[in-house]
Amino acid sequence: MAQISDLEFLRLSKAQKTGYKIRRFFTGIPKAIASFFLAVWHAIQKAGKAVGREISEIGTTFKEGDWKTKLSFLVMGFGSLARGQILRGILFLLFEIIFIGYMILSGGYWLSMLPSLGTQGPTKEYNALLDVTVTQYHDNSFQILLYGVLTIFFIVAFIYTWRVNIRQNRMAEKILATGKPLKSGKEDLHSLVDDQFHKTLMALPLTGILIFTVLPIFFMILVAFTNYDGTHNGYTNNLFTWVGLDNFNTLLSWDVTGGAGTQSYAATFGEVLLWTLIWAFFATFTNYFLGMFVAMAINKKGIRFKKGWRTILVLTIAIPQFISLLYVSKMFAKNGIINGFLMDMGWIKTALPFWEKPNWARITVILINIWIGIPYLMLITTGILMNIPADLYESARIDGANAWQQYRKITLPYMLFVTGPYLLTSFTGNMNNFNVIFLLTGGAPTNPAASSAAGAVGYTDLLITWLFKITTGAESQYYLASVIGILVFVVVALISLIVYNVMPSIKNEEDFR
Amino acid sequence: MKKVLALILTLALVVSSCVVASAESLAGTYDITLWVAEKAVDLTKQQIADFNASNELGIVFNATVEPVSEADAATQMITDVEAGGDIFCFAQDQFARLVQAGALAPLGEGAAAFVKENNDAGTVAAAISGDTVYAYPLTADNGYFMYYDKSVIPEEDVDSLEKLIADCEAAQKYFAFEMQSSAWYLASFFFATGCVSEWETDDDGNFISVHDTFNSPEGLIAVKGMEKLVKSDFHLSSSSGSEFSSNAAIVVTGTWDYETVKGILGDNMGVTDLPSFEVDGKEYHLGSFNGCKLLGVKPQVDAYKLAALHQLARYLTGEKCQQERFEALSWGPSNLTVQASDAVQANPGLAALIAQSPYSVPQCQIHGSWWDIAKVIGDDVKNAEDEAGLQQALDNYYDKIASLFTLSDDVKFGWTVIGAVNGTMWDNDFAMTKGDDGVWKSNDAFEMEAGTEFKVRQGLSWDNNFPAENFKVEEAGTYYVLFNEATGEVSLSAE
Repeated sequence: MAQISDLEFLRLSKAQKTGYKIRRFFTGIPKAIASFFLAVWHAIQKAGKAVGREISEIGTTFKEGDWKTKLSFLVMGFGSLARGQILRGILFLLFEIIFIGYMILSGGYWLSMLPSLGTQGPTKEYNALLDVTVTQYHDNSFQILLYGVLTIFFIVAFIYTWRVNIRQNRMAEKILATGKPLKSGKEDLHSLVDDQFHKTLMALPLTGILIFTVLPIFFMILVAFTNYDGTHNGYTNNLFTWVGLDNFNTLLSWDVTGGAGTQSYAATFGEVLLWTLIWAFFATFTNYFLGMFVAMAINKKGIRFKKGWRTILVLTIAIPQFISLLYVSKMFAKNGIINGFLMDMGWIKTALPFWEKPNWARITVILINIWIGIPYLMLITTGILMNIPADLYESARIDGANAWQQYRKITLPYMLFVTGPYLLTSFTGNMNNFNVIFLLTGGAPTNPAASSAAGAVGYTDLLITWLFKITTGAESQYYLASVIGILVFVVVALISLIVYNVMPSIKNEEDFR
Repeated sequence: MKKVLALILTLALVVSSCVVASAESLAGTYDITLWVAEKAVDLTKQQIADFNASNELGIVFNATVEPVSEADAATQMITDVEAGGDIFCFAQDQFARLVQAGALAPLGEGAAAFVKENNDAGTVAAAISGDTVYAYPLTADNGYFMYYDKSVIPEEDVDSLEKLIADCEAAQKYFAFEMQSSAWYLASFFFATGCVSEWETDDDGNFISVHDTFNSPEGLIAVKGMEKLVKSDFHLSSSSGSEFSSNAAIVVTGTWDYETVKGILGDNMGVTDLPSFEVDGKEYHLGSFNGCKLLGVKPQVDAYKLAALHQLARYLTGEKCQQERFEALSWGPSNLTVQASDAVQANPGLAALIAQSPYSVPQCQIHGSWWDIAKVIGDDVKNAEDEAGLQQALDNYYDKIASLFTLSDDVKFGWTVIGAVNGTMWDNDFAMTKGDDGVWKSNDAFEMEAGTEFKVRQGLSWDNNFPAENFKVEEAGTYYVLFNEATGEVSLSAE
């Protein structure tokens, strides 16, 4: 759709403007997708070029280098040692020795087993004399996968170090050619707290992130491509193995009979995803606006006991959710205190089905979540609200703006600008809000159509609680949980990217400064 | 000569290994970990000390006893078998999962014979997969019965579900029976009408097939009974004894809630077996699952340690220890001798279980997913608007079972009559039995009018059905349906 000029746009009526914007948004989608893939293609091309450059540089290094450099291709650090950079040389050499030693002693085994994830499961043997059955354990698929991945990481690290080693030789040759001396070991060490200080600082966090975040994520993603579950735990009963994209096919299949009974996995997944999005939307925005409203109400001139009101609200934060939510869940039960009170007062004849009917349960969790969320938002927004220049309001009042107009034109834009990133994180946080759902309903009421899907999903289950049910359920289908985990990531990433790019705080960074 | 030498050598080896591995050689100190329920930790420590002092094999256990509830033990075990306790207690519904996970060491012949000889048949069945015994029965009290508030429920009403519901509604008090979130309780109604769900497992704990008759005319009677309860405004889907403190007059739960209920109701506590419900003028006494707790030994690499552990497991589930456990913790014994003792017979909670026991069904191996699939019947029944809706609940259940599991041969290959017979509209299968002459005959005679149509189908599906065109009754009368599998011929017979 063609873009119209600003003048034409301003001439449109309000409804037409909105319509135009919506049409622009949707007609823009194909272009956005195309540009996304184009960007990915460019990135791949760029990466390819970079690799090509590296290889050609390695080639020239070898061709133009002296014998010391050439030997360094095989014996890492030789060049440095031969040129007197003992510390660097020893470190390179040590790394190579450790790497080769590791590969021979265990890395080679892990790597060779990685394609099969093990060949021999445990064996049982009856010992007639003692009248017992002894079990002998053999391959361990879980360890093979874990250490296999670790070995690949190690190999990548080795290739990188080898490349650094080559580059060092080239640089050393160039420096020597200019007649300058090379850095000594002492100078190297000194530089670590001086011009190379960033490397010293980053070494520990980087290693930590690699081992405790990247490696587990990589491992968990790989699990999605195996049949790792309760009956294939990889060591004490059956080994597990690679199954390709089978698990994705299972979860995204519309086939009703394929193991899901009366409803296909894809339909179940779609339902849960839809509810997850609805929940995240309401949980985020009800809290946001109501929290802001409460903060504004308390901030209002003439309201007394401001601190008292805030303390009362903050009390809900002080009590651990684990306790308060379980208690609230009981309060809303069929024979809970709320129904009991309403019946005693004679307002209702029979108990209200807070947790029994799907929509009742969904609305109830959203309402209870408001009760939990408002205090947080109140605290956050109180500070920001006080920060809005009072003269803005004053001039607005002089111009005759009413309270609603002031809110629409001053408060809200300011708030959205400052709390935009917070809104995004809270939206994604709510998509994975395990606590509230699990403690309040545990996913109930159960969805009869989906009861035979792994983990018996219920009407208030989010993807994250469903995932929990799958792993701890009857069959411990870790692989399916992993697939859901990946899909949750994709959904969250997509939403975050889109929202992030239209946020005022990102688009107009210069405003409100 | 070489052969002779080899023979001698082999013999020498066998003899020497016999000497090494004789029972005495079990003597030694073993470091072990035990997982038992928190309540039983102190008692178990005492019992191990007794074992160390009294056993004649010279076995000494240096045991660490950790509190892990029977409900969590299986999940923790399966998550990491290597880190699990060497001996652990668990609820029987986790048995198949544990066998599948390779977390249970099979019992030797001696131990298996000991288990079979000394324990309640139902609990023995719970410890067997295929033909292999994998665990030691520990208790036999995992069943449910009815607690009620005597100040609300008159004593003479406790045998009738309808009267109990009416009493609760009149008093505005709740009838707690976990119908909407637990298949364990919900199955009660099906057992009342004689439905079964029996599973066959192999030696490795894998499920081979299921024989399930919940979707049957009897099943329909069961859900009609269930409908009365779940559609009552004062039905509460819960099985917690503490509901008595929040407006419940009846709670269906087990012996574990005895102290809780006693604490709340005091002298007003009534304990009895489950009531009966009435459908079409016939009474059906509610059934129940009759379950147990088991004690398992984790597989070991060291044969001697494993043998010693089995000795301890045998001791801990033997008569003496079960007696002690009953006295200290009121755990219902699975040991036949202890079961027969007067003290056990007189315990009110266990007495109610015993009163319920003629109607209870031993809970053998049941697939983990069955609990999830069956539990929604309660919700489906509650939402059903008419009889077709009730039948739909059963059909849904059946579809899921049939798509996930292999049906047993008699369901898969059995023939049934379906059609406009006995007031049904092609929505109900009537069972047939194969006679000695190879001809299938319906179990019941049907009153049929002229023009009534029906078919005979196999495995409750339409893949195989006869005759090709609907069978039409020519003359009104009461007939049995006959079906000759060899010729595919359907006929009617007056007798």
